[in-house]
Formats: sequence, structure tokens, C-alpha cells
Amino acid sequence: MINLKVVSPQKVIFEKEVEMAVLPGAEGDFAAMPNHSPFISSLRPGQMAIMSSNKVDESFFVSGGLVMLKEKVCEVLVDQIEPLSDVNSSNYQQSKTYQELEGNETALGTFEQVVNNPPYK
Amino acid sequence: MPNLKELKNRISSVKSTRKITSAMKMVAASKLRRAQELAESSRVYADSLSFILSSLAGNTKNSADLPEILTGRENSKISLLIINSSDRGLCGGFNSNLFRNAKKWISDQHGQGKSVKIMTVGKKASSFYKKTDLDIVASFEDLNSNDRQLQVSEEIKIKIMELFENNEIDEVSILFNKFVSAISQEPKYQSLIPLSNDETSEDESESNNAIFEFEPDKNELLEYLVPRNFLTQIYRSVLESSASEHAARMTSMDNATRNAGDMIDRLTLTYNRTRQAFITKELIEIISGAEAV
Repeated sequence: MINLKVVSPQKVIFEKEVEMAVLPGAEGDFAAMPNHSPFISSLRPGQMAIMSSNKVDESFFVSGGLVMLKEKVCEVLVDQIEPLSDVNSSNYQQSKTYQELEGNETALGTFEQVVNNPPYK
Repeated sequence: MPNLKELKNRISSVKSTRKITSAMKMVAASKLRRAQELAESSRVYADSLSFILSSLAGNTKNSADLPEILTGRENSKISLLIINSSDRGLCGGFNSNLFRNAKKWISDQHGQGKSVKIMTVGKKASSFYKKTDLDIVASFEDLNSNDRQLQVSEEIKIKIMELFENNEIDEVSILFNKFVSAISQEPKYQSLIPLSNDETSEDESESNNAIFEFEPDKNELLEYLVPRNFLTQIYRSVLESSASEHAARMTSMDNATRNAGDMIDRLTLTYNRTRQAFITKELIEIISGAEAV
């Protein structure tokens, strides 16, 4: 198990033990698992998926940020985050994340894509 | 002999002042709790970010490889000071302490042959520095909500990056009242350009143990990190300052309420004495009048 800690500039969003988390790294998706080599990467807009035994337990949209991976800790510093369980293709334009990303066309496009058809299901 | 009516009026006016100050104290106390929570919860992000930045910077052996915005320029000539004051008064020595401190800092900088530019946050600082002959590059006011605080931090960040790129400033420091406890706040400087290490020094040993891989490469990461870090540091100082403001207001209003209470006691005593003296005097007059008949 790896300790996944998701933090926004305002607060700690959650912190829990997970088996694996898939993150949208700047140069491609990667999975955070225990004993990964120490690693720092920036994030592109995309889906963050918390997985156990090859199934997605929880899924989020992140608009970008940073991730720091150490032996048993994975710290994700996000700009904006939205649980995908809260949004669907009809209401995602009302979400706070959508409004905050106003004007950032690429991020909004990715948001729409992730909401309608997440890469990890 | 003091006039009875006057005294009565005086007492009622002090009483209503006391009501106001005690209400302000209560409001400040509840705002303080919120501000403190915000300041504390934003600390996690700021700490992680400066940890990443220091391991990134520490990983680069040659400091010449780092961008100027991290290391500062050699022979810096112009310093920018961002002063975090409050929008409202009635908070004891909160602002005056800050301004006194800033004055000393400015004359220090002048002593080192640097010129100083000022950026003010809060109405109090902007009205104070308007009267001086210092160069004010920008003023920000009305930081009355958390969203607004974040927005102002963002604007400050954009402004300082722009000024730095145009060679209009070489160094940036930020001055704010650090929240120590509800009864004590102290003015504190934090250097943004060059990046100060004092916040991260305790993590140093830890960061040396782990050698991180970076993705994308360091320069691209730095490009993302440096503005983020400015924003976080500014935002953090704004939050600390707002917590300190409420704390300062709470203590000073608590004092004011207590003083008003003392004053009411004293005035009531005088009032009663005067009334007593008045009655005695009237009695004497009546008795001596009756005797005369």
C-alpha cells in the first residue's frame, strides 16, 4: 500500500492508503505504487484513478499540478480537482473546476473528454 | 460640582461604546478561527512545494545553471518590498508596528546603496505610503474573502514577474505580521527573489537522501514551479497577515472593553456621590430654611 496525499493550495483534500494510483504525468500516464524510485513530475490535465486489483475504485479529474513520489508516499499537489462521481456529461459545466478553468481551452477539452469517456474505467 | 445630567449622558455613551467593542471582539474571534484554519491548511501545500523546489535546486550542482529569478541578480540595485497591512483599523499596533519596521528596512536598503520600491496590500498601507515620497508600484485593497485573497496573490505574482523581467526590480521581499499566537504577532520578512532557504532548511537532510528523477526535465519543471512557488508564498503571507489582523483586533478590542468597564465603574461612583451630595445639600437648605422661619 502507498500513502496517497492529495493537496490543493487551500487544503488537504484527502489522504489515504491505496494499492495503486494512476496519474496523468506531463510525459505520459504513470502508476504510483510502493517502492517506486523517487520521482518528481508535473501533471497535465487528465484523469487520476485510484485502483485496486485492476479495478478503478475512485476517479478524479485534475487540471494540472505536481507529484512527488517517494518510497511509500505519493504527494499530489493539484491546481483543481473534481471527483468524477460528482459530475456527468450534463452537469460538468456547472462544476467549480469548469468555471475556474474558463479560458483554458485545452484543459476544458480534456475535462469534457475525461467526463464523457475516462481512459480508466 | 459635576452636572448630574452630563454624567448620566457620559455613562450611557461609554456603555454603548463598550457594546460596540465587545461585539467587535466577538466578531474578530470568530473570524480569527476561520483565518487560522485557512492559514494552517494552506501550509501543507506550501511546505511540499518548497521541499520540491529545494530538492530540485539542490540537485543542480552549479548554481549558475539556475534561472536568475531563483538566485537573484548579482549587484542588485532595486529592491521591492510588499507590505501586507489590513483594510480596516481598530486593531491595536498591527499596522503601525509594520510601518515602523518597514521604515527601518528601507533605510537599511538605502544604506546598502539600493533603491526601494513598494507594493502595498490593504487600505491602511496604501493610504500611509501615499503620503511618503516612496515609489509605489501597485496597491491592492479589499481582501475581504478567501477567493479575493487568492486572486490578489495571483495579481501580485504576475506583477512581480513582469517587473523582474523588465529589469525594474532585482530583489523582492515580503513583509507581513506572522501569526505566533492569538496574543502575539511579529513582523517578518520573507525573501522571494532570491529564494530564501530558511523555511526548507530542516528538510535538507531528508532531501539529500533521496535522489529524485525529474520529468519533464529540470528547466521545464522550474518554469512551472517558480511562479507556483511565488503564488503560494504570497498567498501564505496574506493568510498569515489576515489571521494576525483578527488576533490583533481581538486583543485590542478585549482591552477596550475592559477599559470601558473600568470607566463605567468610575463614572457610576462619581455619579452616585454627586447625587448623594446633591440630596444632602437640598436637605440642609430645607432644614436651615425651616429654622429661619
